[in-house]
Amino acid sequence: MQRRDFFKKIGSVAAVGAVIPVMSFAADAPKPVSPNKMDYKVAVDAITGGKAPVKSSKVKLKVPEIAENGAVVPVTVEVDSPMTDSDYVKAIHVLSTKNSNARCIDVNLTPANGKAYFSTRIKLGGTQEVVGLVELSNGEFLIASQSVKVTIGGCG
Amino acid sequence: MHIAAIFGLGMAAGGCNTGVKSPAQISLKDIYDFKAKGNFTLLHMCDLHAHIKPLYWREPSTLISAPNLVGTPGFLCGEAFAKHYGLEPSSLDAYFDTYINFEELAKKFGKMGGIAHMKTLTNHIIKERGAENVLFLDSGDTWQGTGVALKTGGEAIVKAQNYLGIDVMVGHWEFTYGKERVKELIDMLDAKFISQNIVGDDPFADEYEELIFEPYTIEERGGAKIGIIGQSFPFTSTANPKEFTEGWSFGLRLETLQEYVDELRNEKKVDCVVVLSHDGFSVDQEVARQVNGIDFILSGHTHDPSPQPITINDTVIVIAGSHGKYIGRLDVDAKDGKVKGYEYKLIPIASNLIPADPEGEKLVHELYAPFAKEFNEVLGQTKGMLYKRDTFFSTFDQLINDAIMDEMQCDVSFTPGYRWGTTVLAGDDILMDNVYEMCGITYPNVYTFELKGEKIAQLLEDIADNVFNENPLYQQGGDMSRLGGVTYSIAVSNKAGERISNLKIGGKPIDLNKTYVVSSWGGNLQKAGENLQKDKIRPVYDVVRDYIKREKVVDVSNKGNVTLLDYSCGCPTKGSMGC
Repeated sequence: MQRRDFFKKIGSVAAVGAVIPVMSFAADAPKPVSPNKMDYKVAVDAITGGKAPVKSSKVKLKVPEIAENGAVVPVTVEVDSPMTDSDYVKAIHVLSTKNSNARCIDVNLTPANGKAYFSTRIKLGGTQEVVGLVELSNGEFLIASQSVKVTIGGCG
Repeated sequence: MHIAAIFGLGMAAGGCNTGVKSPAQISLKDIYDFKAKGNFTLLHMCDLHAHIKPLYWREPSTLISAPNLVGTPGFLCGEAFAKHYGLEPSSLDAYFDTYINFEELAKKFGKMGGIAHMKTLTNHIIKERGAENVLFLDSGDTWQGTGVALKTGGEAIVKAQNYLGIDVMVGHWEFTYGKERVKELIDMLDAKFISQNIVGDDPFADEYEELIFEPYTIEERGGAKIGIIGQSFPFTSTANPKEFTEGWSFGLRLETLQEYVDELRNEKKVDCVVVLSHDGFSVDQEVARQVNGIDFILSGHTHDPSPQPITINDTVIVIAGSHGKYIGRLDVDAKDGKVKGYEYKLIPIASNLIPADPEGEKLVHELYAPFAKEFNEVLGQTKGMLYKRDTFFSTFDQLINDAIMDEMQCDVSFTPGYRWGTTVLAGDDILMDNVYEMCGITYPNVYTFELKGEKIAQLLEDIADNVFNENPLYQQGGDMSRLGGVTYSIAVSNKAGERISNLKIGGKPIDLNKTYVVSSWGGNLQKAGENLQKDKIRPVYDVVRDYIKREKVVDVSNKGNVTLLDYSCGCPTKGSMGC
């Protein structure tokens, strides 16, 4: 068996396992309350300690305007930084303004990373802003955001 | 303002007509008239929607947008369009570009488009310029839109493109034949299919994070190196079912577009950079603002005829209508890595004035012959004009909704706000071919299912934001879905989620907690619904055919079902909420 085929098979088995319980319980189960519910404002304050982040073009946030699939929205954050011992990016945080838990991912960096660059995929519950929040070694916080539309589509 | 169908009693009445040429006075010379310029010619076609035969196609009488976009190219219609471009009332151009007096002028000037007529024009231009100096570019939405396209899986249209001599194309509805068929058709196609914005996103596929098509091509014409970058429809995977393009990711991808522009200029040393695009006219104006170094964008998707190019950030943008009604001729003077000048004309394919090329007539006849019996069946007649387009409501869509509601016995019917279709004049026969022209798609099923009132209201707001968002990058370039059984009021300039009010179903205010029976086709709505009635699933063209046959003469109401709260007319002018 080819490696790819093997992964494809594993992938489809996993998908079936994940879907069936949802289908059988969806109708009667009460909507689960997320144990990790966290509002956007609370999430930002938790990261910055209440300090106001500064909007900056040094933070390059790459997300699609319209999500092809709200379950896997590609996000890339790149920060213009020399990444030296005296001036580097300490952390990149990706947040969403309206998800039940606004905090998507925290990435800690050191000068040894060489480049402040991180790319991932996040899940979006609906149309909202995606935010890249960046912590610098001097204690400053920079921020960039963009609206991402999550739509059922079908009007083209 | 209540939005009803308008049959055009516009500005052209009586004495205004002096100086306007009748068809007998217009010669081929007028149509061909062009001040040739520079060292090569780009011919441009977009959104043919598989209309290889001439047709009637009426432009919109309502084209509403967010207030900041009102009256800008891409959001101009009717009187506002005529005023912006200085069209003479009742002229050939007014007939082609606006809805005004459409029925009367249709009798005067006849049908539009058709590959045999396009070919006569392109032959003339090639003879004038020399074949080695002409390049023919196609912005896509070419393979889909008629019965002959559907029944041949797009092949008939590829043959038509090969006959026309298309050199390069991009796509959108092309992809609704599915990935494998698209590749087969590209093998049959003489033209190159390019796209810089389609990338593999299946981690288990060989093409993961690789380009699916060549991003650009470099062609030499008139001694100049012309770099052409392809931009297929960025929102294909949300506007059409995902399964057709599973594993391919679309999007605008402006960063890589900029990289290819720079590569063509700095490394390949081209003399002229062209983006062949299916982004839509308003989106491409945004692209021109954000990407530097593009000389020309040949746009498509939104079906706008633009008699004059627009220039933004030193990028010249043109778009050539739809349904084969026009060919854009762009003469360019470019050498030493620089464009020094250009000349443009949007040429109307008036099929009564431009003679048909016999070879093209023969090809069309051959392609239609296997289906002639089915397509030419007269299903019935129509009392009033049947047309497609307009932001909220059009009569042919109303007929489709009437047919669906009659057969499916649903509370609500959704018909998509596509901008392709056909026009049938009042009193004319409706042929099966016309029905395919309105709903010939590869996912034709009408689904009947249940939706909560709350969900219907939310979906309508969602669709409204796709149409009326003030930022073109968040629009998808279609019109509002057409609703049967529903009336509503809309304030377009309100915030997203707060535009729609006075929503009524079956004449009663919507009950947000009630479950309604909804039928829909051509979209993804069934995925949001519950209790799908599987035994009722049937292709929309069969539903419409049977309904017209039962009715014999259809008399579609032109009253419209939408009240527009913040505009006083369907074709507002710049800086106003009215005409």
